[in-house]
Amino acid sequence: MKIKTEVLIIGGGATGVGISRDLALRGIPSVLIEKKDFASGASGRNHGLFHSGGRYAVSDPEAARECIAENRILRKIAPHCIEETDGLFVSLPEDGLNFRDKFLRACEEVEIQTTLLTRDETLELEPELNPNLLSAVKVPDGAIDPFALVLENAKDAEEHGAKILLHTEITSLILDGDKVKGAKVKDLLQGEEYIIEAPYIVNATGAWANQFLKRVGLHIGMALSKGSMLITNQRLNHSVINRCRPPSDGDIVVPNHTVSILGTTSIRLEEVEKFEVTPHEVSLLIQETSKMIPAIQEARFIRAYAGIRPLFQSEEKGNDRAISRGFVLIDHGKRDGIQNLISITGGKLMTHRLMAEKTSDLICEKMGRDVPCSTHLKPLPGSNRPTSLKERLEQFSTDQGETLCDCELIPRKEIEEVLGGEKLKDLQDILHRTRLAKGTCQGGFCVYRLFGVLHDLRMAEGDSNKILKGFLEERWKGIRPILWGIALKEEELIESIYKGIFNL
Amino acid sequence: MHYDLIVIGMGLSGLMAAKTAAEAGQKVLIVGKGMGSLSLFSNSIDVLGQLPKTMKMEPHRQTSDVDTKAHRGEHPVPEDQFTHEQVSGHLGTGMKDGLSQWIKDHPEHPYSKVGLEKIEEAFSSFLSLFPPPYSFQAIDNMNCLLPTGAGTLRPTYLIPTTMVGGISFDGGHTLIVGFKGFKDFYAHYVADQLKCRGITLSLPDVPNQEITATALARLMEKKSFRENIGREIKKQLQGETRVGFSALLGMHNPFQVKEDLEEIVGAKVFEIPILPPSIPGMRIFNRFKEWLIQKGVTFLLGYSVSKATLKGKRCERIEVFHPPVTTSYSADRYILATGRFMGGGLKANMEKVFEPIFNLPVPQSKSREDWFEKNFFTGAPHPIHQAGILIDSTFQPVDERGDLILENGWVVGSILAHHHYIDEKSREGIEIATGYMAAKRALAK
Repeated sequence: MKIKTEVLIIGGGATGVGISRDLALRGIPSVLIEKKDFASGASGRNHGLFHSGGRYAVSDPEAARECIAENRILRKIAPHCIEETDGLFVSLPEDGLNFRDKFLRACEEVEIQTTLLTRDETLELEPELNPNLLSAVKVPDGAIDPFALVLENAKDAEEHGAKILLHTEITSLILDGDKVKGAKVKDLLQGEEYIIEAPYIVNATGAWANQFLKRVGLHIGMALSKGSMLITNQRLNHSVINRCRPPSDGDIVVPNHTVSILGTTSIRLEEVEKFEVTPHEVSLLIQETSKMIPAIQEARFIRAYAGIRPLFQSEEKGNDRAISRGFVLIDHGKRDGIQNLISITGGKLMTHRLMAEKTSDLICEKMGRDVPCSTHLKPLPGSNRPTSLKERLEQFSTDQGETLCDCELIPRKEIEEVLGGEKLKDLQDILHRTRLAKGTCQGGFCVYRLFGVLHDLRMAEGDSNKILKGFLEERWKGIRPILWGIALKEEELIESIYKGIFNL
Repeated sequence: MHYDLIVIGMGLSGLMAAKTAAEAGQKVLIVGKGMGSLSLFSNSIDVLGQLPKTMKMEPHRQTSDVDTKAHRGEHPVPEDQFTHEQVSGHLGTGMKDGLSQWIKDHPEHPYSKVGLEKIEEAFSSFLSLFPPPYSFQAIDNMNCLLPTGAGTLRPTYLIPTTMVGGISFDGGHTLIVGFKGFKDFYAHYVADQLKCRGITLSLPDVPNQEITATALARLMEKKSFRENIGREIKKQLQGETRVGFSALLGMHNPFQVKEDLEEIVGAKVFEIPILPPSIPGMRIFNRFKEWLIQKGVTFLLGYSVSKATLKGKRCERIEVFHPPVTTSYSADRYILATGRFMGGGLKANMEKVFEPIFNLPVPQSKSREDWFEKNFFTGAPHPIHQAGILIDSTFQPVDERGDLILENGWVVGSILAHHHYIDEKSREGIEIATGYMAAKRALAK
């Protein structure tokens, strides 16, 4: 089989999917391939901060400017993916006020709107904050649902004619003189192999950029920086809480639906595939973030996870936090003489749309076509979906079947709708598209039940216990670093079920 | 109030200790937050699921083994074909040899502190509470394999009458029955793994909504209900000779429920252990409770011990908290049977594992990094499961130098150090044996 298209995009993160949508809206056909599911890299493994740009205002004004501009656009085109919480930059006694003043000036410079709050005003907004704080600066931060954002982009792209192939991996590139003619790819679930040919190829693989470029003998300067995060069992803050000091470990707490996410660490990695959160990192995050919100000391955690920031590095080495969070668009025609290859990396979830716009502009330029970008004007498909609690409650019916997930209150009917009658492709695909396994027990009960439903619907017939074991092993990575207190108690229960009662 | 003995904890080990003391004519108080792991796991009685490998004793299953061939075939195996070790409590030879080797290999293990002979005594004592029809039995003197709610087979030792039909599982001739609206058992899931057939029935007397394990167990006790489902199953039977249900066949009279269903369906009926809660475990609890109360034991269920007051190395009294009231109780002797993390016998903060009532020392790995293995299913048990209370040969708590810490205290059950009950599959065996033995030791002092 051979597929021919105009642009072949590699990578199903926010950037790749953003490019797919951008090109589709410009009427340019494309095919996107992703070796796993959407947002399997940094797009899905971050703290879900909807940046105002404040975090970069002092150290990286250019990145800050991009953030605030995109902040304004995304509020318009993707309101259903965003919770408008605002953010506070809190000054603690040990931080002093020098940085705060610098911060206020820098925000003004890049046009991020700020409000200076007194200690009392701050505590009124956020009663769980350290009562000894000096002051706080309010900025237009928020919380974003990265997976929903990527999914909505993909949906819109497909509606406008783009093709997206998940679980599809490149096996080799087909070179033709100074061009990459196409790629041999493999459907990882069906095992089918075929060829995709395109006059333009976009490498949007994020942290995997160099793994891709190696196939054509190229390399770009990148630093892989691991950031670890920790999820609390309940939401501790209304707004995003940042520490008002130069960026450091454990300086942010982002609220997200019913939980809060503590972030982050920054550890340089050599390899992109293998990474885990250590109990030491967990202790560090708790120690630092609890200086802002003391209740974190007593909080229960449900999971730790890590993502890799693909940071573009010019020449000099140094502190990873000092490397720009701005993105880089590389025309390998100019840089390396491979005429039709483009790499886009660095950057952030927050600027994915802008990155997609610039990449698509470059493609148009190479094609000699003059079609303007419209992604900043056209809302994403689900943006008229009900967002308020009242509207959502009105949609709720009582006959939903049994509750499969007691943590997130997910009825059987909701799962059956997501499954939509298709054969089980991949457990992670289902988990990505539902709230199953996101709650306190992290799928300790509901994933077993999910298999029960799949067998009931005859969507699974084989050895489901092998997949269940695989899930529990994967789950363990996020659980192991947080096992003490109640979480440890519950883990004894889970272990007693699967190794005990079920003898897995 | 002053007692001869106070047992703290109402799981199987605490209940065994209370029973042993009550039988010796002691004035006993037993106090506990809940039923311990009985309400969660104890479907059958594990003694040692993972027998020493050197013993070359595979659990009873239908292999090419000559011995077991007799139990295969087209028809359900009549119970009397097995060598049942019923009520007597004598461990079967296979189990006995296995345990004796285990004790040699693991001198610190709770079983080794009890000793083979006393383990048998303990089982006799336990089994005496369960005369037929709802009794426990060993099959062919060995562990046997029972099907589970995940469609796996699991080794266990003493089996309640209602589960006997699940042994020598032979796939094709079995029908697995699930109920719509009950989310903790899926007939097709189990049947697909076990290569047999599954059906899911709609519940006749329940409107289209969720039903819990305890509610379903109670419904099963209604004659009209089980007749209804029995008839429906008979209609759907396609020559199967055995019918497996989730282990919910009634709380109080499971034998009757099983008999009735067998009569209507015309096939052998058996229970399959499932996710918590464990109805069979609650049956065990209820039997102990009834017996202990009848023997005059003071039974405080739903109460937790908030504090123990010590004078030197003696416990003077404990404070029992039942909101909003706190009451003091004293005794000559105290038995700690509070379980591990789930039961609250052990607690862990970010730095260490500790015992909250008496603050007994808990030897453990130095750092949290070493509590758990990097993989969940490693084969090697997670090191934290070895952490627990150290005892001397008489079940009294000692420190790492072996010095006695509590002169009138004894410790029993899963809170003890040096066992891996999840991996060993020894939970109930350890609870029964140590609960019995520690009470004997306490009474002898």
